[in-house]
Formats: sequence, structure tokens, C-alpha cells
Amino acid sequence: MDRSLSTRRQFLSRASGGFGAIALAGLCNDLHAETDNPLAARGGHHAAKADRVIFLYSTGGTSHIDTFNHRPRLTTDHGKSITASRWLNKSGEYTRFLIKPRYAFKQYGESGAWVSDLFPHLGTVIDDVCILNAMHCESDGHDKATLAAHTGSAQFARPSVGSWVSYGLGTVNQNLPSFMVLAPAAPYAGAQTWGSDFLPACHQGTHVVPGAEPLPNIQPRNVDIELQQMELDLRDRLNESHLRQRAADRALDARIRSFETAFGMQREAPEAFDLSGETDETLQLYGLTRGATSGFGWQCLVARRLAERGVRFLELIDVGSSGNWDSHGNMADHERLAKAIDQPIAGLLTDLKRRGMLDSTLVVWTTEFGRTPFHKQADHAGREHHNLCFSSWMAGGGVKGGIVHGQSDEYGILTAEDAVHTHDLHATMLHLLGIDHERLTFRHAGRDFRLTDIHGNVVQQIIA
Amino acid sequence: MKPSMHSPSINRSRIPMRASTCLFAIATAMFSWLLFTPICMANGEDEFFESRVRPLLEKHCLECHGTGKQEGGLRLDSRDGWMRGGDQGDAIVAFEPEKSLLLKAVRHDEPDLRMPPDAQKLTAAEIADLETWIKRGASDPRRESADQKSERLNLDAADTFWSFRPLSKVAPPRDDDVRWSRTPLDTFIYARLKQQGLSPVGDADRRTLIRRATFDLTGLPPTVDEIDAFVQDESANAFELLVERLLESPAYGERWGRHWLDVARYADTAGDGADYPVREAGKYRDWVIDAFNRDQPFDQFVREQIAGDIIALQEPAEKYADRVTATGFLAIGKRYGYKASPDYQYLDFADVIDSLGRSLLGLSLGCARCHDHKYDPISAADYYALYGILESTQWAFPGGEEQKRPAHFPPLIPPSEVAKREQSKAERLARVDAEIAKLKRLRSDLDPALHAGGVDLAFESQQAGKPPGKPWFSAGPIEVTADAQSPFHHVHPPGKLGIRIGSGKPNDGLRYVFENGLQASEGTRMHFTIDFRPVDSSTETGAFRFFLGRGVVESLAVECSVTSTEFAIRSGGNWEVIRKLTPGTWYTLRLTIDPTAKTYSGLIGTPDDLTHFQDKQTGPNWDGVINCFICDAIGHVSGPACARDLDNFGLRETPFGTPDSEPVVPRTAGPELQQRMATLDAEIDTLTKQRQSIASESIYPVAYGVTEGTPKNSCIQLRGEPHRLSDEVPRRNLEVLGGELVPADSGSGRLELANWITRPTNPLTPRVFVNRVWQWHFGEGIVASSSDFGSRGVPPSHPELLDWLAGQFIDSGWSVKSLHRLIMNSRTYQMASVDDAMNLATDPSNRLHWRYSRHALDAESIRDSMLAISGKLDRTAPDLHPFPDVETWAFTIHKPFHAVYNSNHRSVYLMVQRNRRHPFLALFDAADPNQSVAARQPTTTPTQSLFLMNAPFVHESAAGFASRITARPGDDDARVRWAFETAQGRVPDAVIVRDAASFVSNYRARIAGKDAAAEPNHEAWSALARVLLTSNAFLYVD
Repeated sequence: MDRSLSTRRQFLSRASGGFGAIALAGLCNDLHAETDNPLAARGGHHAAKADRVIFLYSTGGTSHIDTFNHRPRLTTDHGKSITASRWLNKSGEYTRFLIKPRYAFKQYGESGAWVSDLFPHLGTVIDDVCILNAMHCESDGHDKATLAAHTGSAQFARPSVGSWVSYGLGTVNQNLPSFMVLAPAAPYAGAQTWGSDFLPACHQGTHVVPGAEPLPNIQPRNVDIELQQMELDLRDRLNESHLRQRAADRALDARIRSFETAFGMQREAPEAFDLSGETDETLQLYGLTRGATSGFGWQCLVARRLAERGVRFLELIDVGSSGNWDSHGNMADHERLAKAIDQPIAGLLTDLKRRGMLDSTLVVWTTEFGRTPFHKQADHAGREHHNLCFSSWMAGGGVKGGIVHGQSDEYGILTAEDAVHTHDLHATMLHLLGIDHERLTFRHAGRDFRLTDIHGNVVQQIIA
Repeated sequence: MKPSMHSPSINRSRIPMRASTCLFAIATAMFSWLLFTPICMANGEDEFFESRVRPLLEKHCLECHGTGKQEGGLRLDSRDGWMRGGDQGDAIVAFEPEKSLLLKAVRHDEPDLRMPPDAQKLTAAEIADLETWIKRGASDPRRESADQKSERLNLDAADTFWSFRPLSKVAPPRDDDVRWSRTPLDTFIYARLKQQGLSPVGDADRRTLIRRATFDLTGLPPTVDEIDAFVQDESANAFELLVERLLESPAYGERWGRHWLDVARYADTAGDGADYPVREAGKYRDWVIDAFNRDQPFDQFVREQIAGDIIALQEPAEKYADRVTATGFLAIGKRYGYKASPDYQYLDFADVIDSLGRSLLGLSLGCARCHDHKYDPISAADYYALYGILESTQWAFPGGEEQKRPAHFPPLIPPSEVAKREQSKAERLARVDAEIAKLKRLRSDLDPALHAGGVDLAFESQQAGKPPGKPWFSAGPIEVTADAQSPFHHVHPPGKLGIRIGSGKPNDGLRYVFENGLQASEGTRMHFTIDFRPVDSSTETGAFRFFLGRGVVESLAVECSVTSTEFAIRSGGNWEVIRKLTPGTWYTLRLTIDPTAKTYSGLIGTPDDLTHFQDKQTGPNWDGVINCFICDAIGHVSGPACARDLDNFGLRETPFGTPDSEPVVPRTAGPELQQRMATLDAEIDTLTKQRQSIASESIYPVAYGVTEGTPKNSCIQLRGEPHRLSDEVPRRNLEVLGGELVPADSGSGRLELANWITRPTNPLTPRVFVNRVWQWHFGEGIVASSSDFGSRGVPPSHPELLDWLAGQFIDSGWSVKSLHRLIMNSRTYQMASVDDAMNLATDPSNRLHWRYSRHALDAESIRDSMLAISGKLDRTAPDLHPFPDVETWAFTIHKPFHAVYNSNHRSVYLMVQRNRRHPFLALFDAADPNQSVAARQPTTTPTQSLFLMNAPFVHESAAGFASRITARPGDDDARVRWAFETAQGRVPDAVIVRDAASFVSNYRARIAGKDAAAEPNHEAWSALARVLLTSNAFLYVD
């Protein structure tokens, strides 16, 4: 067994070869193969359309009828009363007043998809986007619905979708984590949303907080990197000597390797987070001012850079569990929130496309639920939680662009056609990555668990 | 070896109710089938089925209701299948098409139940065929085949399944050939090794042994002195003595208590959306640590965790607090509620039942929440039998988004003592309250501004033309107006404003809550006065009323009822008209109430035309308090009440002037009066503060645990949904463990449950626990799935050894320390961890123990060792966590609680947060407190390595270690040797020592040349210390 340092370093330099190294993926077809490295890149069950995911998550519940689901009847019937079947977490019969959207809608692109004035930039790239207007989920509580959107389970801690993808496909660049979460603050339900739960912990999301030090402990404390290299070399020699007596122990070897990777991360991760090499034009595309180290534009641009470097699953949390889209009091608040993400998201899609990455990068935008098209008071400025029908969208990664899939009723209260449940969204994401959601399982506590539990249908109609 | 019965078989009284509770969904189907199905089916029926029905079922239904999938719990691929029904009930009721859900579904009768979903509706002919088939008795020759039957282990089969079988008394096998074994335990291991053609490796050396045993029992490294002493100990029982010493160390409980806390899903926060802190959680943690240190018998340890509060009542008072604290085991799980209400308790209970099953019985009871367990002999009825026990229990509520303060925390003193202290507190409060009330009355009598209870009860400060504002409440047409100024001045000096109430709805009107209400006391009277004027109206002829009493008509003292033409009062239960009135005239009313006699008298009229009344009865249920006045329109004559003007209110304990007395003259307070009032104010202020401090006094310590609630049985929840209730299930033991009922005169049933779980005839509890202890010593259990002893678990590698250990454990009085001795003094435990090519080929994962399995240090051991080696470890147990003051708690899911508290105490004492994990503990794979953790899953990630390379904690620890190294006498080589021995337990060969020493000198030289401010020597040794504390010889234990 050749365990020389040079061999390991060769391995590492190969793995850290950046975007071009993605070609190395798909070497192994058995998802459950025993390998030394649970994060080694491997192929899925079938040919993948997408190699990676950028998952955009708006916390709080973005109103569907003020963004992507154009319901003109809501405007004409404004103030009329209807009977709603659900109100504030309770089923029943409620007389409620229809409330017209606060924002006007326009048609964009060749596809002529309707988008409200909240997302003018996104409108310009709408021909690359597949809008899902008949999303639904079980819970209209923030924490439960957030967990469901991430793990498929509204009640129990389960592995996050990013962890499942990492578990299934590993990752291309061993110098960076497979699943990274760029979030200024945790969403509802906290770090459970990116937890690996029963999956091996190397699949958990690595939380990066935008700011001056996005990755803790990434900065060598020793300014003289050669001194750190001396330490690394001595540690290696001690470990090699230790390993000589214990050659069969793969964990010892893995630990030795992880120091090499960490050492590599010190070099590569800050570089991935360093935007100084981006042109002014690119920064402008994302709505970023030079020098900024936070904001959704920063998250989007860093996500592109990490995607280029082979990170498998990137999640971008919009806002977090406070000050978010939860506009109970006044829908005017949506304006501020949309403004913060509209240009960055449009910039991300544009940038990915012109770099030839959009075809292989699945971009998903979702939120925990929509907001009620009706209210108790006829002229109320806010909207309540609404899980029976809401909107999400997907782009790139093998998804048909410029289509609208799913119809709600004329008011956006209930799904009417081609409803897509959160489980279906997950099944489709996995499918595009080459994974059969019914076959990606993990044996835990006596049974095989799946991201989609016993549910989920791949939405074939939206696949290009 | 012939196993003999170790204990009597489980008394499994089969419960007749099982059929009715578990098969709830099909009860009616079964009933109608038995009654009406002809014993012999005509061939024509089968033909009809084969030609018409079978094809359509196969075409439309079986994809989702057959072998592969059973959507909605329904199978249509055999008669047995559909007779069991589905989650929604009976799909097919023979002879009764209208009761058959299947038919409703295919007809699309109900919007929520349209079959087949998302596909073409059945043709009318097909639907008609189905209807005909059902109408004619639903003859179906298809019987359930073996592969259609569930893989479930049924109760009968459980009798012989390895984990449910009674413990067998096993004789250790003989080891005559090589006499490898040192203890009986070894003979079990050796026999299996021999059987597989494996040979055990040699024994571990002394250094390896002391490092292994010290980490194992204390989670800390041995010191150089301890290593030296052990290496030089010539005595034959040196290792036994070492084990004894370690078992006596307080660090033992801190290490092994933490193992239990993994299983018990311990956290310091509640885990609801806002993740409320739980100040008392640490008391349970400390109790666990202490229980291990004093080797509390495990059966008692378990009993107290389930029913400590009940056991406490029978035990000496000095043990009371400990017993109640132990019930933290139940309370400490993840919570889902926002307030102390049962709304989300079904989720809390799901956690408790699942954790109870996994931790103590090795059963995934949680799987039976929505349906009978798919594989194990646990029915949904079993689940809801336990659920009833939990529902009969009062749970400490930690605080939540809607109710931000903790509630129902059980006291740590006996109920009699609680009652005494609470009564004494109540008495103290009552005394202060009475004193405050007295002073306030005194003051309001003195204060000229508060004449008769305030200047017309603050009317004069209201704004004309508007409804009265605070402190008044009003509804309906009402306004303050100069037009409603009363002409009388015998109570208040002349004012400018009164109030006009229009004719509104019956509940409209006016309300005033007296800040200083009057309370009945011996010998005092209560006086009330009001002036009013009914407005003439030919249409509004109903009555309005004056209510006096406590709260909003909570306790009625006196009621008067007025129309524009007459005045009535209620005496006892009856209305009594006192006099006629002339519409548009101002009247004055004066009431004098004798609360002791429960009578009142009064006068009504104009100064020159007064009507007196006497000895009228107050409300029969009046509780003696008047703190509320209401004028609404619910009086003795129904219909819209006339508009009225009101003015000149008063309520006090001294009489008011009579209508014919002299007008009241506004008074002013002279200096002396002002002084007296100021003195009274100060006294009132002091007393009020005193009251607050008494009220907020915690008069006894509490725990985060449970107490007895109201005993009640629960109903099965279909699909685990709390609103879809089925049959009630009596509270009882799991059927597979005996199924005994909770006696009717008992409490919740927790005491019974505790006894059922720990009685010697239940083989699961001892098997599961000895297996855990084995796992914690060796890294993997004899049963690898240490929380799953069901049919989907992994069967034991050494079943006889498992039973032998369990038997020894029970015979030792469930002594955990004895179990450690049994295991650690074996040769099996003391083997080296070296490789062996032949053995590796046969048994690569060392399942059969041909060597000791090397393992990584866990999170706590890494941190504690670094602290210990740096000389900074604080070995004391810390105080409670420095949580924010409870009075400031306002956490919501938008702004959840979050904190990381640094300390130099052992890691078991770190604040464990549920929803946002402690960064270090999470990074190094410590137990996730969201569920009972059977075994940690160690990972090796670059982010851990980044921590080891760059974290301030590691650098600080290494700096501390470096100070200790440089304080050592001797040259660099000697220091290097000491440093290695301290960090890693041994000194490597001379080449490595030389290498490390030259690293230090090179490092020193390089720094000295670069940075004048640095301390090159200390920095160089710190660098070596970092390498030693982050290399594999430190991070792994051989």
C-alpha cells in the first residue's frame, strides 16, 4: 500500500482541479459502494441532466398571487366574499374577502409568462425559467413547512435534501464541502434544515455566514504559512509512523487526508469567497457594490464561484427567520424583500448561462408556503399563511425554460391542474441529478428511509 | 450447553379487546361478512368475479393497492386484503354498495376521494359491474398468499424470537485446549473465534491498557504519574486495581452519565420553534451523573426516571428531590407546543413513546403511531395504551412562543410541604393585600380629588362629544356630554359632564372596573350612588339595568332595572317594582349593602320625593366582592331600552350624603392633609413592593419533570392524526410484555409501567442495557442495532454471552459497576488492537473480537483532554447555565433563543442546545439531542481538521500545554518525551523524538529571526503541542 505523501498530494491536486475536474464524476454507478471516501464523486442511477443544485430559499412565505401566479379575477372580484376552507391553521368554513394583488403583472419574454412588478429583473430571463404555480404542502406553520421543504418531513428531524444529494453523488472537489449553505441567519427550525441527521455527518451542510469571516477557522493563525507547513509535515510524519503499525485502519488514513484537504481549503476556500477578481460588469449584474461581503447578491455570486469549483449542492437562504416575507401586516413589505433578491437572482441565471453552466446547474427557488388571497377584513393590507397553493420555480439543469406548469383556481386559493407537492419537487430535483428518489435510501432504525418517504412523483412534463 | 429457563415465561394474558381495537377499520366489514356471506358460494359468483371484476381491479386499482404499494393502507389484491379495510374505513362492505367506499371513490361522489387519481374515470359499465358484485356479496376467491402477508412478527412468533424469549441461564463454554480465557466471559468469545477459525491477537501492553481504560471510564487521559505507577505495578491484579480506582473517580459518572444522556436525548433547551431554555434540565443531568457514580441499581435507575415522582411519595423525604428530578428523562424530549396546552402534545408524546421504546426496550414503538408496527409485535393499540398513560400525566411546560413562561414544573418537596408553603405564601399575600386595600381606602377618603371614589369616577376628565375612554369601557351609541349633567350636588361638587347612553343592543352600554374594589368584611357596609334620567320614548319601552358585583357579571350583588316609567330592583330571585318614574326627570339612587347579612336597603327619587326600600336580598350566589359597575339593557322589561343620562357615581365604605343634605363643596388639601397623604403613598408603595417580592418568591425548588395528572384513557388516532379518533384503548402494558391493565384505582399508570419494564420477567430491559454497556466499551454491541431489538434489528453475534451477561447483571443487583468489572477484567477487553492479515480477511470489522477495536476520541474526550493537558480543566461541576433572566424571556420562532456559553468545565456540562447545535459538539459528531441516539456516528471531515489547525481553543490549549512543557526540567529531548507521554501516553522511538526536538529548534530559530516581539521558545513548544494534540496517536485510542 503506497501511502507516500506525494501520492496523496497528487490525488488532492487532481481533485482540486476546479471546474474542469467535474469530468471525473460518474465513475461509479453503485450509489452505496463502500469507498474510502464517502464524498468521492460518483454517478447516479441514470444519466443526469444536472450536475449540481443551487437552491434558493425565501423564508417567511412569499405571496404567490403577488409574484408569479397572475389571477386577474382576484382584482375584478376584489372585496367580494368567498368561503375559505382553511384559516390560521384550522380547517373549517370561513367567510373571507378577496384581496387583489398589490402589484401589477406584466408578460415577459417570448414565452409571455406573467410576472409581477416585484421581479422585473427576473422577468428579463423568464424564458429560462419554469414557473410552478400549483405547489402545495401540508403545514402552514413556518417551522414545520420549512422542515418539510428541506427534508420532506414536517415533524421530525430528517436529512436535508442537500445531504441526500451529497450522500447519493458525493462531490467533485475534495477541497470544499459537498453541501454548503450561504445564510445570514438560520431559517425557521434552525440548522435542522441543513442537517444530515442519520446520514453520515460529512453530508451535512456547511453553514457559511456572509461577512468578513464566512468560514470559521479557515484563516491560518500563523501568518507564516511555512511554519504551518512545518507543523503539517511533522504531524504527517508522526501520523505516518503511527499508521505503519496500523496499516489496515482506513479512518486513520482519512484523518491524515482531511488535514491535507483542510490545508487546501485554507488556500482554495478564501479564494472562492474572494470577489476581487470579478469585473465591475459582473458585480453590477448581481447588483453588488465592490467590497460588499453580504447581501443576496454576494450569496449568489459566491454560489456561482463555489459551483464552478465543484460544490455539489448550494443552498442560499434569503433573510432567515426574522424580518422576512411573512407579511401579515402589510404586503408593501414584499417590495423591500423582492428588491433584495430580484436582481441578484436574475444576475445569477444570466451569469450561469453565459458561462455555459446553466444547462448543468439546476436552480430552484421556493418558499415554505404562499399567502392567503383573502382576508378577514375586506381591506386588510396583509396576507396570512397559505399552504394549499403557492408558487416556486426551477431553471437550468434540464428543466424546460419559459413554461408555466400547474394552474390554480381563478383566485389562487386551491391548486387546479398539475399540482406539485413538495415531495414531487424533491423527486424531480433528484431525478434531474440522475437519482431515482425511490432508490436513494438509507437504512436507519430498522427501515429504509427516503427523502420523499413514501411519496413523490417526478414532474416529467417540465423536463426538457 | 443446554439453556435452561432463567426466569418464568412472560405472563402474556391475551387481551380480548385486541381484536376490536386493532382491527378497528374492518370491524363492520367483518361483521356484515360473517352474518351475510353464504358459506358456499355459487360458481356463478366466481365466474362473474373472474370475468368482470378481477380484470377491472387489475387494470385500475392494483398498481397502488396491491403487492407493491398499499396507498391509504388498502389492498385490493385478495379478499383478506380488502376485508382489513384501509385507513379511511371499509372499502368494500359485502351486500352494501352504499357503504362501500370503493364505490363512492370510483363514482367520484366525494371530492377528496376520487379513484383512480389523475387517471381516466371508470366507465359506467365497469362501475355497474362493481356495484353488482358488491350487491351480490362480493365473492372473491383470491386468498392472501404468503408473500402478500406482512413480514410482521406476530405475538405468537415473538415467544420464540431471540429478543423476546425469556433470559436463559447459560453455562459458559469450556476452553480446555489453549486455556486462553481468563474469565467466563472470554470463553464465549473464544468459542466463537475458534468456530470461525480466528485466533485472538496478543494482549495489549500496560501503556495501551491504562490509556484505554482511563479514557473508557473517565473520558480523560492518564497522567504521566498514573502511567508510571501502573507500568511499574508488579502485582497480579494491577489492572483490576486500576479499574477500581477509575470507577471511584467522579470523572467516571461524568463519562458514563454522558453515554446515558445520549440515549435520553438530553438537551438544555426545549426544541420548539423558539427553542426555550430549560434552566432545570441540568438537574436531571447531574442526577444521572450522580446515579452512575453511586452505582445506583439500574432497575431502580429506570423506575425513578419513569415514575420517580410517585415513588418519591413512598420514600424518605430526603430522597424526594432526587426521585422527582429523575423524571426529567420523560420531560427532556423535543417539544412542539407554543403554550401549555394539549394542542401539540401528540407530537411531544410521539417523541416520548419512541424514546422510551428505543432507550429501554430496544423497540421502535414510534412506528405504531399511525398503524400497527410493520415488523414487530407492537400494535397501534399498544401505542395508544402508553399514550393514555402519558396523557394522564402532568408535564412541565418549558415556555414557548405563545406562553413565554415555564409552567407545571414539579416541586422538589413533598406535596404536604408544598401545600404548607403555598398556604403560608397565600396568607402572607392576603395580609399584605388587606393592608394595602385599607391604606388605599383611607387615602381615597382623605383625598379631596377622589371624593366619593374619584371625581365622578373620572367623568369630569372625559372629552365631551365622544364615548368615554379609559378607565371606562363602552359599546353602542354613547357619548360624554354637558347635557347629561345631573342637577344634584349632595355627592359630588357641581361638574360639567355626564354621560348619555342611547338606545342600542341589549349588550351595549357602559362598564367601570373599580381599581380598589370593595370586599366584604365583618361590620362594614358598602355604599353606592348614582344619578340618572330616563328619556321619554314611546317606542323604546324596554329596561336598562345597573349591575353591581364582581367582574363582568361573574358574581352579582345588586341589580336595578329602569324603564322610562318605573324603577325596579332584584331581591333574591325576583324583580320588584319600587316606584313609578316620570320620563325626562333626574333621579338619584342610593344603595347601602350589608354583606354580612346579604341584604341591602336604599332610596330612590328626587330630593322632595324619595322612596325608601329595606331588607332586600343580594344575589344569592354573591361572593362578597364589588369591583364592577355595568349599565346595559338587560333588565326586567325586554325590548329596546330607552336612552338615559347617567352622572355622579360613587362607591365606598362610608355613607354618602342624602339628597336633601347640603351641596358638597370642593375641598382643597392643606399642608397637613398633603403630608398625611404623602405618608400613606409611601406606605402603600413599600407594601406594594413587598407584595411583588412575595409573589415572585420561589418558595421551593422545582425540576423539569412530570407529576400525576388526571387518569384517562386515550383513543387510537387514525394515521397518527389527532383529530381522527377511533376506539378508546385502556391504559396497559405492551401486549408483548404481558398486556396487564393499569388498575382502575391507580393513577396515570406510570408506576405500573416502570415496574413492568424493570421486572425480571421482561428480558428486553436487561438485554438492551448490558448490550449498550458492551457497545460503550467496545464500540459496537453484541447486538449491533443497540436500540432495535426487533425483527429488523441485527441479531446478536454472541446470543449466549448476551444472556449470560444479562443474568450476571441481574444477579449482581443490576450493578453497572459490576458489569464494568466483568467486562474490563476479561482478556477480551485487554487484547491489543493490532492487525492480523488472516483475521482481517475473515472478520474485517472485528465483529467476533479477535482484537480490541481502535476508536476515535469522541467530541467530549477531545475537548476535555485538551483542557486537562493544558492544565486548564476545571474539574468541579458548574452552577446552572447563565441563561437570561426568566422575566425577560420573549423568544419566538422569529427570534429564537440562542447562546453558546464558554467554560473550562468538562464538556458534559456544556449547554446543549437543540435547534442550533453547539458548534464544537456538532462538528465532532456529539449526540444530536433531537432523538434518542443509539450510537454516535464518528466522521472525519476537513472542517474538523480546520478546527484542529486553526481554532482559538486548540491554540490556547496548546499554549497552556507549552507552558507546562517548558516548566519541566531537563533538555529538549527530555521535554519532548514528557510531552509525548502526556498527550499520547507513550514515548515514540528515538528517531521521532529527535525529529520532534529538531522541529522545536528549527521553529524557534525561524521565529527568532522574524519577529522580535514573539516568545520564540514558547511559540515553538506551542507548535509542537498543537501537533501532538491533533495527531492520530492523540485522537485515537488503541
